[in-house]
Amino acid sequence: MARDEQVQAAIDNWAPRFIANGIDYNDFQRVTTSVECWDDWCRAWSECGALHAQMGEQAEARGKYVSAAQHYFQASICYHFGKYLFVHRPQELRVAHEYTVQYYQRALPYFDPPGERVAIPYENGTTMYGILRKPWHTAKPPVVILIPGLDSVKEELHLYGEDFLRRGMAVLAIDGPGQGEMEFTFPLRHDYEVPVRYAIDYLEGRADVDARRVGLMGVSFGGQFATRAAVFEKRVRAAIENCGPYNQSTNFKNRPLISRRTMVHRLYAKDEDEAVEKLRQFNLQGVVEQITCPLLVIQGERDRLVPAVQGARIAAEAGRMAELWLFEDGNHVCNNIPYKHRPQQADWMYEKLVG
Amino acid sequence: MARDELVQSAIDNWAPRFIANGIDYNDFQRVTASIERWDDWCQAWSECGALHAQMGEQAEAQGLYVSAAQHYFQASMCYHFGKFLFVHNPQALRVAHEHTVNTYKKALPYFEVPGEHVEIPYEHGARMYGILRKPWHTPRPPVVLLVPGLDSVKEEMHLYGNDFLRRGMAVLALDGPGQGEMEFEHAMRYDYEVPVRYAIDYLESRADVDAKRVGLMGVSLGGYYAPRAAAFEPRLKAAIANCGGYNFLGHFDRLPGHTRAAFIHRLKAADEADARKKLAAFNLEGVMERIQCPLLIIMGRRDRLVPPSDAERMAAEAPRVAELWMFEDGNHVCNNIPYKHRPQQADWMRAKLMA
Repeated sequence: MARDEQVQAAIDNWAPRFIANGIDYNDFQRVTTSVECWDDWCRAWSECGALHAQMGEQAEARGKYVSAAQHYFQASICYHFGKYLFVHRPQELRVAHEYTVQYYQRALPYFDPPGERVAIPYENGTTMYGILRKPWHTAKPPVVILIPGLDSVKEELHLYGEDFLRRGMAVLAIDGPGQGEMEFTFPLRHDYEVPVRYAIDYLEGRADVDARRVGLMGVSFGGQFATRAAVFEKRVRAAIENCGPYNQSTNFKNRPLISRRTMVHRLYAKDEDEAVEKLRQFNLQGVVEQITCPLLVIQGERDRLVPAVQGARIAAEAGRMAELWLFEDGNHVCNNIPYKHRPQQADWMYEKLVG
Repeated sequence: MARDELVQSAIDNWAPRFIANGIDYNDFQRVTASIERWDDWCQAWSECGALHAQMGEQAEAQGLYVSAAQHYFQASMCYHFGKFLFVHNPQALRVAHEHTVNTYKKALPYFEVPGEHVEIPYEHGARMYGILRKPWHTPRPPVVLLVPGLDSVKEEMHLYGNDFLRRGMAVLALDGPGQGEMEFEHAMRYDYEVPVRYAIDYLESRADVDAKRVGLMGVSLGGYYAPRAAAFEPRLKAAIANCGGYNFLGHFDRLPGHTRAAFIHRLKAADEADARKKLAAFNLEGVMERIQCPLLIIMGRRDRLVPPSDAERMAAEAPRVAELWMFEDGNHVCNNIPYKHRPQQADWMRAKLMA
C-alpha cells in the first residue's frame, strides 16, 4: 500500500525538523517507514516514545540519571511529534501530549543544566506553564524566552535552549495560548505580547534571573508572535523571528491539509473559512514598523509554508532595527541548515543581552 | 546516471554511523545525493568540510568560541568521512586526513569540556597521538581509552567520549598503528596491547588523571583490539568490545570491496593474498580465556560486516568475565540504535571504574 498524502506531507515538510529537534535519525527512518496511513501516525510515534520511556524508567530506577535524562527526553520528543498535527483525533492527541509533558518533566532534574517547570500566572486567574533552565555558575543571567509555533511546544525547543545556555543565558520556553499545555483551553491569540507580558512579570518576581535583560526567540508562527511581542512589550531587549509569517491569512490556502486542519483546531474555528477570518488579525501590518529593539529575521528562501518575501517584508518594515539573514538553501524554519543559524543566533542574542 | 556500487555500499553500510558520530543529517542527504562515482566521494565531503571550517574560522575570528567549536568539529567529521575508506587515492586521503586532525585541534580548546592533543611515546622513538579530555571539577578521574577500528580515527570517537565525560570519566582517544595519524607510517598490528601499554605508561606520567583506573572501549576492529589488550595488559580494569571480530581472516572474503581495500592498505599488504596472511594473526583463539577484567561485548544481530557469532564465541570463551549484550535490531557497531547501548555502556564502565 502506498503512503497516504498526509503522511507523505508530514515526512516531506518536516524530516529535518524532527532530527534537528531531537528525534533519533534511525527512529525517524524506522517509524515513518512503518506508517502508511495518517491515522496510525500518533500511535507509531507513541510506541517509539514508550520504548524510550521504558529505558528512562530502567535507568532512573538504577540511579543512572544521565542516561535517564537522555531517554526521557527522546520519549518526550517522540510523543510530541506523534501528536503535533494529529488534531483529527483530539483524544489520542491529548494522551500523547500528556506523555510529552510528563516525560520531559521527569528528565528535567537530570539535564545538564537541569530545569524546572514553572507556573506563570496568566489572565483571569489561569496559569501558563514554562520550562526555565539556567546556565551553571552565573549570577542573575539574562533570559531568552523561547516561543513555539502552530504545532510545536515548549519541550520541542529544548535543543535551541542548549545553544543559549552554553553561552551563559537562561531560557524560559513557554506554552502560550493555543500551544501545548494551553491548547486545550485557549485558542491561539494574535496579541502574543500578553502572554509575554505575564512571562516577564513572572521573571521579575524571581531573584535568580535578570528580568531587565530579556530576549525572545520564536519559530514559525512563533516568529510572528516574537515580533509582535517585541513591538508592544517594551521590556523585551532583542528578538529573533525565524520564518514567521507577516500575514498568516494569505498563506492559509497553500498549506498542506494537516497544517490547515491544525490551524482550524488551535484557533478554535469551526471551519477553514472561519479560520481565515480569524487569521486576518495575525498580521504585522502597521505593527512591525513600531519596533524599537533589535530584531533578527531568519528566513529560508525554500520555505514552502511561509513565503520568503514575508520575512523580507518584516525586516524591511522594521527598518534600522532589523537584521535579515536570508538563506537561499533554507527550508521552513531553516531546519535543514541548523548549523548556519542556530549557533549564530545564540551569539547574536548574547551580544544584545550581555555583550 | 546511476550511482556506482561503492558509493551505494558506503551509504548502505554507514548512514547511521555518520549521523551518530556527528555528521549533520542534512549534510548526509545532500552530499551523498550529489555523488555518483566513488572517485568523487572524498572531494564532495571535503567541500562540505571546508564550508564548516570557514564558519569555524569566522566564528573564531569574532571571538565566538562556542560556535567555533561546533563548526570545527563538524568540519573535522566531514573530512574524516571523506577519507575513511578512500585508500585508492592516498594523496587525497592524506590531505583530507590532515584537515580532520587540524580542524579538530582547532575545536579542542573551545569544547565545553576542552581537550588536548597529546603526544605519547611509542616504540623505537616513534610517537602515537591521542586526544585527552577530562571532566570538570574531578580530581584525578579514571580514564577510558577510546580505540577506533579499521576506518575510524580518534576524532570520530568524540561523541562516544561525551557520554563518559558526562559521567565523570576522562577519555583518551587514540590513533594506534594503522589508524589516523599513525596509518601512514605504521601498519595495523594484531597485538594492540602494545600501543595500549604505551598509552597507560603515558597516563601514569600525568598527575591529573588516575592511571590505576583505566578502562577501554573499542569499536569494530577496535572491538577486537579491546579483548586482546584486556588479555595482555593487566593494568586495564574493564573493557568494552563493540562488534569486534573474533577471527578476521574467516570473514575477509565476505567484506565489501572498499573495506577489503582498506584492510590491504592499512595492513600495508601487497595484495589480498598478503592481507589474508597478515590477518591470520588477528585471531582471539587462546586469548579470551586469559582476560581477568570485566569485559562487555556489544553485538548487533544484523551486523553485515562481522558475524554475530563471533561475539557469542568471545563471550563463551571468557565466561567468568564477559557480559554479552546482543541486540536483535543492531547493525555493525549498533550505530542504528545508539540510544540502546551508548549511554548504557558508559554507565557500565562507570560502575566498573568508580563504584
